[in-house]
Amino acid sequence: MPSRSHRAQVLARVAAAILGGYAFAWGIVATGASLMVAAGMDFHDAEFLGSMIGVLAFLGVFLWAIAARRLRWVWLVTVVGGGALAATGSFVQSLLV
Amino acid sequence: MPDPASHGSLLSLALVASVAGMGWLALSMQVHAQQAWNHIPSPSVLKGLRWLGSAALVTAFALCLGADHATMAVLVWFMALAGAALTIAFTLSWRPQWLRVLAPWVRRR
Amino acid sequence: MFQSFRQAMAWLHTWFGLVLGFVLMAAFFFGALSVFDREIDRWAIPSTRIEPQPMPSFEKVLRPAFERMQPTQQAIDAMKPRVNGAMPERFDTVVNWSAYTTHRDPVLALFAGYQVPNAKDPEEAIWADTTIDPRDGTPLPNDRLKIGSGFFYPMHYSLTLDWKNLGIFIVGLSALVMLAALVSGVVMHRKIFREFFTFRPGKARLRSVLDLHNLTGVVALPFHFFFALTGLLIFAATYYFPLGHTQLHQLHDLYAEVEARETGLPHQRAGVPAGLANVDAMVADAQRRWKANDKAGDVGFLVLQHVGDANGYVSVYRAGTDRIALVGDGIHYKASTGELIREDPAATPVGRMAEFLTGLHLQHFRHWLLRWLYVLGGLAGAVCIATGFVFFVEKRKRQHAQMGSQGARIVDALAVTTVTGMVLATLGILAANRLLPEDLPARGDWERYAFWGTWALAFIHAGLRSAPVARGLANPAWREQCWAIAVLAVSVVVLNWATTGDHLLRTLARGYWPVAGVDLFILAGGVIAILAAVRLRRRAQQAGQGRAASHEVARA
Repeated sequence: MPSRSHRAQVLARVAAAILGGYAFAWGIVATGASLMVAAGMDFHDAEFLGSMIGVLAFLGVFLWAIAARRLRWVWLVTVVGGGALAATGSFVQSLLV
Repeated sequence: MPDPASHGSLLSLALVASVAGMGWLALSMQVHAQQAWNHIPSPSVLKGLRWLGSAALVTAFALCLGADHATMAVLVWFMALAGAALTIAFTLSWRPQWLRVLAPWVRRR
Repeated sequence: MFQSFRQAMAWLHTWFGLVLGFVLMAAFFFGALSVFDREIDRWAIPSTRIEPQPMPSFEKVLRPAFERMQPTQQAIDAMKPRVNGAMPERFDTVVNWSAYTTHRDPVLALFAGYQVPNAKDPEEAIWADTTIDPRDGTPLPNDRLKIGSGFFYPMHYSLTLDWKNLGIFIVGLSALVMLAALVSGVVMHRKIFREFFTFRPGKARLRSVLDLHNLTGVVALPFHFFFALTGLLIFAATYYFPLGHTQLHQLHDLYAEVEARETGLPHQRAGVPAGLANVDAMVADAQRRWKANDKAGDVGFLVLQHVGDANGYVSVYRAGTDRIALVGDGIHYKASTGELIREDPAATPVGRMAEFLTGLHLQHFRHWLLRWLYVLGGLAGAVCIATGFVFFVEKRKRQHAQMGSQGARIVDALAVTTVTGMVLATLGILAANRLLPEDLPARGDWERYAFWGTWALAFIHAGLRSAPVARGLANPAWREQCWAIAVLAVSVVVLNWATTGDHLLRTLARGYWPVAGVDLFILAGGVIAILAAVRLRRRAQQAGQGRAASHEVARA
């Protein structure tokens, strides 16, 4: 039977993969879409392309979160990185509107 | 876009080419050649089968392009390949000797 | 946590595949059925068993039908909490009228949106819909459940779990996990090219099940990957990454304004009443323009915006029957005069890619071979997931039996429920569709209860019969449910004959493929179920003899 610490480890990995992955993906879409709009792309095109890159980024981070040796790197990249990317998106938006 | 009759013929030929192509590719692999003929043909025969198989799959794609708009032809081709691969896999599981008809020049022992 | 990348991928594939596999089964199976959703609708609603029709004349057929429409009492009641004050008797300010058709629709669905006076949100609209016979505008029963497009189709993307769109999010997560399962599967599968054609049914159960799992996963790998990806992209902007309505809504609104100015299509009403010029003339003009651009085609989508207002406009879109894109090449006319406002320019490269990816999934094109190949792909995906479950149980049931664990038993019971149980539920709703009285109020609701009820019964049966799994043996429920599928499949086809007179000889002779196709598909399923049941019985007998022999040896 898996020990309590093993179960906690598994839970932490799954959380990092799903929640951390989603946060990172959101940030990718925010930065990607806003930069593409800034570069002159139509909003809906940028939204679609940004989403596609975001989904593939989510996939990559998801796999990494399960395989990574140290989970803290995953949390760092996804939460801090995702946050920074999201903030960038809002910043680019503020320059355009 | 061609009329329905030639559309149907082009696609039927594409399906035949896909199945034949997958069959030749399978036969070019030692394990499946063994299943079909009870012996493994020479490496040059196997290489020939592999070329034949690839050529057939490319032909299938050309036929798909002849039948439909390019965006659809690509999808039809990929899915036809999937169906063809399944057909050959199940033939190998149940009646591998049926694949001999694809390469009648290979002597059986 | 893991020694190697491959080990980590194996863990991911096994456990995420197991948990979300149950949802993915539904997505793949009902997705496969949705390829022929409109044909299933024909089967389920016999009064619509007519030939597909092109978009009819607006002046002769559509306008009188639109003018008769009003929201249902149910819709009005649902709107009350979003309104300050009383609800009007009639809704007369039309936001838009629209009609959508494909080459597979015999009947036409019409939609009308109306402004809501005193609404809390000024952009609020209340909707009405109706279904008409396009040949003469006769309204058709609107309260019949469209089992294909109205039940199986939403099942595949949302499990019909509409509370706060929870189902859409669950299926979305499963789609992402599907992508991860495909990648991890490839990483785990060392001999992916060598074993491309390998299926050895004669070998030990674990090996042959794994062979089939690998085969169905790999040969249709591009299909599985792209359908999961495009499915996610279709809902991305609205549900999964709704940045346009949240974090980036300022950018979205800015571009909506810019677009409205550039296209000349007014976003709001002017408040000045105006008449409606001849819409048929506008449609004819649109078709002429498409032909001139080497794109002759049928009308797929007709929209009248701000009806009765000076800002009103009519948009005519081409049906994407011969290419992947859904509808496109929109041409817009000023409603009051019929003069051309704008011809939509060719899509941007990103726009074309978006059209291709979404169109590939939503399939409004005319291509019967590709449709059937899509069904094959969907069923291959379902077999891949089902064999995954069987492999999981087979691999662990002996050691679980020794340890006294119920794990394998529970997974096996759930697997039976999700594989044979799901097929039984599908047949159950079709049977109920034929058996329930025609004029039963809320007939659609009863049909849905029949679906969930049958599935629940299958679950209970699977659970009750699963005790042998805890002893390392097979669950007889697999075989028993296969027999049930065979019996139910034949019954459903017979019921179609008995209640509508449309038996196979008649539908095949007439060439009425929607109904013949559904009947044949059901019968084919029944045949496969019989073959499976016979094979499983033979295996059970052999296992029984094997055990008896070993008991003899043990006793001797």
